[in-house]
Amino acid sequence: MNEQNELNRNPLIDAALKLYVILAYLFVFAPILASFVFSFNSDRFPSIPLGHFSTEWYRAVAADPLVWEGLRNTLGVGAAVGMISTALGFGAAYTDYRYRFFGKQVYLALALLPPTIPVVIMGLAMLAYLSRIDLSGNALSVIIAHVVICAPFAMAVIRLRLSQMDPSLEPAAWNLGASEWATMRHVIIPFTRPAILGALFITMAVSFDEFAIAWFVSGLNETLPVKVLGFLQGQVSPRINAIGTFVFVTSMTLVILAQLLLSGRGPATDKE
Amino acid sequence: MQEPLVSFEGVAKRFGSYVAVQKMDLQIHKGEFLAIMGSSGCGKTTTLRMLAGLEAPSEGVIRLAGQAINDLPSWSRDTPMVWQSLALFPFLNVIENVEFALKMRGIGRAERRRRAEQWLERMQIAEFADRNIAQLSGGQRQRVALARSLVVEPEILLLDEPLSALDAALKVRMQSVLKNLQRETGITFVYVTHSQSEAFSMADRVVIMSRGKIEQIGTPQEIYRTPRTRFVADFLGSSNIFPGQLTRDAGGRAAIATPSGDFVLAGGGQGATPGQAASLIVLDTKMQIHFQPPPDAVNTIEARMIGEEFIGATATIYFETGAGQEIRVQKSHEELADLPLAVGRSFHLSWSPADGHLVPE
Amino acid sequence: MRRPVSLYGLTFSLPLLIWQLLFFVFPLVFLVALSFWTVRNFRLEAGFDTVNWVTMFGRPVFWQAYATTLAMAAGAAALTSALAFPCAYAIAFKLSPAARRWAVFLMVIPFFTSYLVRVYSWQVFLSDVGIINVMLGWIGLGPFRLLNTIGATMLGYMTLGFPLVVLLQLFSLVFVDRTLIEAAHNMRCGRLRTVFAVVIPSARVGLVIAALFSFILCFGDFVSPIYLGGGDPTTLSILITDTTKSGQQWPRAAVIALTMIATLMVVAFLAVRFAYKGRTK
Repeated sequence: MNEQNELNRNPLIDAALKLYVILAYLFVFAPILASFVFSFNSDRFPSIPLGHFSTEWYRAVAADPLVWEGLRNTLGVGAAVGMISTALGFGAAYTDYRYRFFGKQVYLALALLPPTIPVVIMGLAMLAYLSRIDLSGNALSVIIAHVVICAPFAMAVIRLRLSQMDPSLEPAAWNLGASEWATMRHVIIPFTRPAILGALFITMAVSFDEFAIAWFVSGLNETLPVKVLGFLQGQVSPRINAIGTFVFVTSMTLVILAQLLLSGRGPATDKE
Repeated sequence: MQEPLVSFEGVAKRFGSYVAVQKMDLQIHKGEFLAIMGSSGCGKTTTLRMLAGLEAPSEGVIRLAGQAINDLPSWSRDTPMVWQSLALFPFLNVIENVEFALKMRGIGRAERRRRAEQWLERMQIAEFADRNIAQLSGGQRQRVALARSLVVEPEILLLDEPLSALDAALKVRMQSVLKNLQRETGITFVYVTHSQSEAFSMADRVVIMSRGKIEQIGTPQEIYRTPRTRFVADFLGSSNIFPGQLTRDAGGRAAIATPSGDFVLAGGGQGATPGQAASLIVLDTKMQIHFQPPPDAVNTIEARMIGEEFIGATATIYFETGAGQEIRVQKSHEELADLPLAVGRSFHLSWSPADGHLVPE
Repeated sequence: MRRPVSLYGLTFSLPLLIWQLLFFVFPLVFLVALSFWTVRNFRLEAGFDTVNWVTMFGRPVFWQAYATTLAMAAGAAALTSALAFPCAYAIAFKLSPAARRWAVFLMVIPFFTSYLVRVYSWQVFLSDVGIINVMLGWIGLGPFRLLNTIGATMLGYMTLGFPLVVLLQLFSLVFVDRTLIEAAHNMRCGRLRTVFAVVIPSARVGLVIAALFSFILCFGDFVSPIYLGGGDPTTLSILITDTTKSGQQWPRAAVIALTMIATLMVVAFLAVRFAYKGRTK
């Protein structure tokens, strides 16, 4: 904390540490910025010195009908994943907030673990399982797989908001004559609304991000795991920069929207 | 006597192996201001929450207006509560908060607005009707919380340490607001607090609880003058407690033998049997201080002064007897003016047998 | 009134439970079953045969890949933690609250850019005619072979883990009681010693968890080893994709996947135990 006693600080060490922070952020942002820059660069094999400014990769992407189909699919899947994940995540967050029960640890583990399982393994297991129960090979299977990964994020965001709620608020509503369902509608949901919308956007962004690249690049109507496996064997072109930049801008828009909602303007976040 | 508004009949509450409230019987009368007082964990809040339907009693029956309400969910009881945190809905403005209970009862928009406005008026916060809760001061929020609970015009209002978040001056002002409100509306108030001054200044009757058990029920005067148990005497803090054994003095009078000396009891010791362990309770205001040994006093002790404390018009002087017992004496400044008070100096303390009473050990 | 089971409660708790059972637990369980199936004439046949386990565990290439993956993921976790710590420390203790909020916000951004895109971008830096070699060329050095090396894979792993590790470390450092540090200074504990004697032990749980996450991410990652490491040495994730491709050997891929999960569980268990060692909670 910088209001700490000045006596115990060494300006040289502080400056060195701050320089280190800047270097760390350079490392993190170098690939992101490079991708952005080279998406507007004419060269087929990007490097420096830069070629001339060009929107050729964007045009190439835009001219590809498969890309447009991919975009439609991605958006559709993203919207579905966002809504289902948020609904499931809300239920789980509320369950954790409100109830104690035998086996709750297991319940929470189920709710939160999926993102820690490596994508390769999840992909393999999903693909094998879903094809077994005849669910593979369509957008539905992608939605299913993504909800498994995204619901935990939605739960975390909404649970955080619930933990900011005065624990007396819900019983206070019951006490004033609101049934559990009425309390849900008139108290819990209004209170968590910013987090619900935030979770919606964040899960959409996660889904969009995971899905878009694979779909855009291979452009085929396959399931996600197949596509990821297939894509890895295939070739990439600077088009991926254009797509990546587009996806990034879209995701960030969603995330910033979520952030605005979560950090709350106006009455939604009371400090009491 | 008329039927009580609320009665707890053998009500107990356990959380697992932890006993929050031991089997208890309590009647709350219509129109009274009842305070339930005790330190944290004594079961006072659990008692209130059982009445509000937020905790189910482990055994016993709770009746409201004669009807058993054990199985009634919280939202079907008319037992509105003012919460320690106030629990105002932050996403609703002032008047929407007040309207909430009416809305849940299916009352039409115009009617509920009218009734809410009436209560805002009454609580003198009408001008804040459209404000957000976050924009209000502590005292204003308090009034909103009261209006929100009272708008349904209940027979009983539960208050769970509602003043604990306020500063001292505001607390005193809100106490008189609450007391007046209770008097004007005639609504039964059940007020849970850990503060003796709040309970004693507002309540008609006070219930003192400890470890899930009712220690004493009575008017503030009764409890203050004659604490019935050692715990109550200790808890109120204004009594001197002499633990000892009942005996007879040389003259055959009932007395108690304590490490600090033998003291005579009034009225033959209330039928106590000699040999029994008991504690003598003497209020700090009933103790007299003398520099010279008082010639005619029955009960006296010599004690060394160890400290003094001035609060407003009165002073509390602390003494220690030879046996190590601490004694407090409260006096006005005038009464102390003639005494050569100094820490370390010895004095003689006395009291009349009529000012002491026994509590069981 | 709190009844543990009610229609109301179940409405909220059951959907996620059912979903994760159906689409998370069952697939993993199915993976176990699959590992005992056999492949005949490029067709899967259900059954119970330990042949896949015996075959896979009997292959040196499997154990080689296993050792490689374990070592590389552990190395990446250690390296990322060590490099991230000064950064997290500086953000936690040396920046103003406003700057700290910005730092956190910026560190979150990478999560919303595709990892794949970032790895592809590193190729542009590292290739033989890439940015770094061109710059080295200006001062008469190189070109060096940077791409398709273990170093490049590590760079990819760091790209994957660094932001998360910084954030997790940061969150545990922010909660270190400042008075502990002042008390240490007060007892003549020097600056650097305070970091090792007070700050790191106080934040241990968070630091270990951060390293664990880095390990988990790298252990299962297939993008960096292929795109930056050139597929050599072979990691378990590459082995899975290869096995799946070659002759539909799904059961054998399942064996690898299950071995990976078991390893992750053991590592996670040990890490959590180490993190909370000597704590009452």
